[in-house]
Amino acid sequence: MKGMFKKLVGVTAFSSLLFLSACGGNSEQAGGDSEGASDGKVKADVGVVSFITGSGAAYGEAIKGGLELAKEEINEKGDVELNLIFEDSAGKQDQALTAAQKLINSDNVTAIIGPTLSTEMNVVGPEADLSGVPIIGTSTTAEGIPQIGDYVFRNSIPEALAIPASMEKAIEKYDAKKVALIYGNDDVFTKSGFDTMKATAEKMGLEILTTETFQKGQSDYNAQLTKIKSYKPDLILASALYNEGAVIMDQARKMGIDVPFVGGNGFNSPEVIKIAGDSSDGLIVATPWYGEKEDPKVQGFVKKFKEKYGNDPDQFAAQAYDALYILADAIKNAGEADRDKVRDALAETKDFEGILGNFSFDEEGDVIMDPTVLVIEDGEFVVFE
Amino acid sequence: MIAELINPYYLQVASFMLINIILGISVYITLSTGQLSLANAGFMGIGAYTSALLTIHFELPIVVGIIAGALVAAICGILIGIPTLRLQGVYLAIVTLGFGEVIRVVFVNWETLTNGSVGISGIPHIGREILSTLQGFGFNPSMLGLQNNQFIFLSIFTLLLLVTIFIIWFFRRQHSSRVGRAFAAIKLDEKAAESMGINITYYKVLAFAQGALVAGFAGAMYAHILAYISPADFAYHRAVEILIFVVFGGSEVIWGPVFGAFFLTLMPEVLRFISEYRYMIYGLIIIIMMAVRPQGLIDVNMLNWFKRKRVKGGHKHGAGNQKGM
Repeated sequence: MKGMFKKLVGVTAFSSLLFLSACGGNSEQAGGDSEGASDGKVKADVGVVSFITGSGAAYGEAIKGGLELAKEEINEKGDVELNLIFEDSAGKQDQALTAAQKLINSDNVTAIIGPTLSTEMNVVGPEADLSGVPIIGTSTTAEGIPQIGDYVFRNSIPEALAIPASMEKAIEKYDAKKVALIYGNDDVFTKSGFDTMKATAEKMGLEILTTETFQKGQSDYNAQLTKIKSYKPDLILASALYNEGAVIMDQARKMGIDVPFVGGNGFNSPEVIKIAGDSSDGLIVATPWYGEKEDPKVQGFVKKFKEKYGNDPDQFAAQAYDALYILADAIKNAGEADRDKVRDALAETKDFEGILGNFSFDEEGDVIMDPTVLVIEDGEFVVFE
Repeated sequence: MIAELINPYYLQVASFMLINIILGISVYITLSTGQLSLANAGFMGIGAYTSALLTIHFELPIVVGIIAGALVAAICGILIGIPTLRLQGVYLAIVTLGFGEVIRVVFVNWETLTNGSVGISGIPHIGREILSTLQGFGFNPSMLGLQNNQFIFLSIFTLLLLVTIFIIWFFRRQHSSRVGRAFAAIKLDEKAAESMGINITYYKVLAFAQGALVAGFAGAMYAHILAYISPADFAYHRAVEILIFVVFGGSEVIWGPVFGAFFLTLMPEVLRFISEYRYMIYGLIIIIMMAVRPQGLIDVNMLNWFKRKRVKGGHKHGAGNQKGM
């Protein structure tokens, strides 16, 4: 018995040793040049936690592209010199947390950009806040993210701002009074979007005829749509991601439902047009990013992005691009790569003119800006007026 | 010196590793009676939600929450164990897989309690609670030359390590006890075991309940380490992931799942430097493993081989210890 216990302790000790030696390699590279300012330039390491592998890799790639482009431009300008360290979260909370821990403790980064999903931010945010590392979400739109702590910011437009904006405009134009809701109830993103839609509809005094739910990956929505059709709504509020949303629209149009749809942020993708074709006409979404805007900054970004990566930037790339500029601005104002000073400088960001438009943080670190409302007409996103 | 070595990142990875080891063991226990259960992700979820809700709404101490979480999971284990007794092999796997999905769907739809798919945030963090309790007694991590967050993760790691050692010790003991022999007999041949007078109903449900208890415990710890849980954490993917630990490491001896969980949790972290290719390599390793050693990396023969080597090397005490580990 005693011998067995000894062996057990031995094995455990051995495995932890193995573990330490396996991970020990990368600890040396941290520190050193990350802090301090030589010849007036502020050098800073910025960590990025992103969804690079797995089902949401498209988001991570877009974010990575936007950040890389911004970094090149910022370093060229020469006020600050940024070094980006990318870590993959694979879209999982525990992976995102270990990635953030690595950045905070092993790489000693000044600030973190990411993670991609709101669920990941719910886990990483408190940890970064406790460690005193400023963290900026570029794609986290759920309720309550910047409220996690003083060090948590975001520049992605929250659902609570985007959905009411699009709903107000749509209702004004179509004089809608009766609405039907449909949402995916097993996804954080669509569920939180639905909560906002419902609250806004109640606040506006709209009559909610029915509320239908669907699950991720569902392909037949006829049951829900038949019910919605029988109520004859003026407008359909759909909180769905684009892959399910496009199919819903397609089936609705085939069934003869021709009222406009108002969607959340996840519905806002050119993919909708690709999947649903003509059926996608009449989808109204609010977006922080509109690539056709006649602003030299926006057009410059679109051109450079296309040259570098061969495709048009989406909102994730644009938001990431702006986030790094905001951060670089804060680091410049802070004067050194000190986490606390950068946080204070970030909190003071006001009227920043980026490719998304005029941007400020409120006192909680949340977004103040006006989203653009778009509608699909003849297979193209155009500004909704 | 020590303070510099303690990096919360390593401790964080090590903590997840230990949780995965515990989860791996939970599948191993039910497998040791020949039952393949895929419900362990569901049991993990039950443990996590029970503990999280109890500690948030009733402000119970975390320890009570974790124990309650494990016990509720065990009760569910008994409840699901009894009706599925008649099922074997792949049929049992399907039913338990279905059970796991049912649990997830309950979490998604019982919105008043579980907050639906948005998940529960603000769960008391076990390390921070330990720290604030100790600070109440006038203890300060700086006495040990540690920073607060170093101490937080060190305490989580130590706690998990002790529990893991206890669990391994317990199931190793059980394996060579009356219960363990009964499990092994049932695994080899159920009918023969029954005709020898083994109460197979009792032992199979016992194995199920033990597996659920351990998985529920791991789930509760997971909730209090991440401080945020959502139904998606306990979906089908998790069940498969746990199963892979066992299949990879080997399901014959307890060291199989331990090694499997250890190696497969470490792998993605070590491979971080090749970023997007890391999961390809992870997949490749598993494929090669399955082709070369379908019974898992560690099996009885391998352990015996190690032992013989040690005996030749002059260690006497292992000589008479040839009973299966």
